[in-house]
Amino acid sequence: MRALQYFFSEAVASLWRARSAAVLAIVTIAVGLFVLGFFLVLNTNLQRVVSQWSESAELSVYLNDDATAEQLKSVDEMVAGSGLSSRRHYLSKAAALARFKGDFPDLASTAGALSGNPFPASFEVQLRTDVRGATGAVDGFVTAMSGMPGVADVHYDREWLTRLNAVVRGMRIAGGVIVVMLALAAAMTVANVVRLAAASRRDEIEIMQLVGAPFAYVRGPFVAEGILQGGAGALLALLALAAGFYALRLRFGAAAVQATGGDSLTFLPVPVVAILLLGGMTLGCIGGYVVARRVR
Amino acid sequence: MIEADRISKTYARGVYALRDLSLRIDKGDFVFLTGPSGAGKSTLLRLLLRRDVPSEGQLIVGGRNLAELTPRQVQAYRRSLGFVFQDFKLLQNKTVLQNVALVPRVLGMPPSQQQRRTFQVLKWVGLQHRMSAYPLELSGGEQQRVAIARAIVNDPVIILADEPTGNLDPDLSLEIMNLFREINARGTTVVVATHDRELIRRVGRRSVTLNHGQIAELA
Ligand SMILES: Nc1ncnc2c1ncn2[C@@H]1O[C@H](COP(=O)(O)OP(=O)(O)OP(=O)(O)O)[C@@H](O)[C@H]1O
Ligand SMILES: [Mg+2]
Repeated sequence: MRALQYFFSEAVASLWRARSAAVLAIVTIAVGLFVLGFFLVLNTNLQRVVSQWSESAELSVYLNDDATAEQLKSVDEMVAGSGLSSRRHYLSKAAALARFKGDFPDLASTAGALSGNPFPASFEVQLRTDVRGATGAVDGFVTAMSGMPGVADVHYDREWLTRLNAVVRGMRIAGGVIVVMLALAAAMTVANVVRLAAASRRDEIEIMQLVGAPFAYVRGPFVAEGILQGGAGALLALLALAAGFYALRLRFGAAAVQATGGDSLTFLPVPVVAILLLGGMTLGCIGGYVVARRVR
Repeated sequence: MIEADRISKTYARGVYALRDLSLRIDKGDFVFLTGPSGAGKSTLLRLLLRRDVPSEGQLIVGGRNLAELTPRQVQAYRRSLGFVFQDFKLLQNKTVLQNVALVPRVLGMPPSQQQRRTFQVLKWVGLQHRMSAYPLELSGGEQQRVAIARAIVNDPVIILADEPTGNLDPDLSLEIMNLFREINARGTTVVVATHDRELIRRVGRRSVTLNHGQIAELA
């Protein structure tokens, strides 16, 4: 305990002596963790949007206007018997028109001027979450449905969902690469600052060695210095991230919710915040240890 | 206590700092190392501090061959030593008290004992009234007394001093030597390197004269 106190008081004094370099290291760490945090926030929210959209992804079976009640019944049974749907819902021509009017009030007057109702009746089928990935089964189902009497067309929005997922995955990989590079840069910067500090503490280290101080005692201050820098960097990054996030949400949050149809945007969950803080300290610790290891 | 058995030390380009030197210093001895500049005095002390190892021969202290110590054993060995240098090697950003207390602290002495012992040695070198001063606020003689207090705070078995009076005038030098004599009187082995022959004469102790890394004279 007393040793820890010594490590950290030495580290603070040493950082203060080299404060401009220390600030540089802290900012570097902060930038690295800021980018990491930025990707995490983006990922958290995209994840939610994607899952919400997937939730509402459905397969529409459009029916011929002249489809018979028998045909309707067999289509319904076919959907029910496929084992793929979690929910299905019949939308009549009138209901389709009403929905269109509700969604697009400006265009509704035009539609009203048309002779008759141009919207087909349909079954809206909600696919079960667990079969959404099973492309083959869903494709087979779509083909089978298309061929049924009374069915005009089957519409399934899988393409763009797959594409969206690919984009999210790609972003995650790119983000990962950038974050790893920034983390390395941050650790290296810390190591440099600690090395600088080591030079300014050379006398002290020499005396420590001459009196036979344990290695931990000689090295502790370096590691403490790294941890302090890393922690400060992480804190700075989190503050900047939170400030940026809440400012943007205040300004654009409502628009984003409307555009995506999702819930309101969220910041990082507490455990992730804690991990970022610890991550910064770990980076700093590594940087400090790299230098400390050479001291014997 | 200290046994050098035909040790040599060469640096790059085959320069011999020490050459085939054999020397024995017993427990409780007070020995001056003297000789002209470049004779090898500092080199011998470096080897004794285990900051370096002989290129040839064996240097045995307290029955252990210094070249064979592991890093941890080097630490333990150094804890049994006290060192004093010409340039004092005090930490400028720490007070007199902190400079001395550093040693018992890093060696894990209990806090109450650390304090008592630090006060005790500072009082003994006559600096109890300057404990909160910084080294640069002290005279050379005072700084060297702080360094001596630090060297003995841990009750070393051997004190190694390299030109401890090199920066001091003759009267102060004798004063410092009297401190070493007192330390020695309590049984601590003392080895002092100096080229000040007059000082050696006044202190009147055994001296080993080196020249070109070899023993030129034993007196
Ligand atoms: N690190 C080193 N690298 C190369 N040569 C060295 C080194 N240290 C000492 N020497 C050489 O070793 C020889 C002995 O040096 P040493 O410092 O032991 O002499 P000294 O007796 O202490 O001299 P002085 O009275 O000037 O302090 C000298 O010739 C010196 O140039
Ligand atoms: Mg010398």
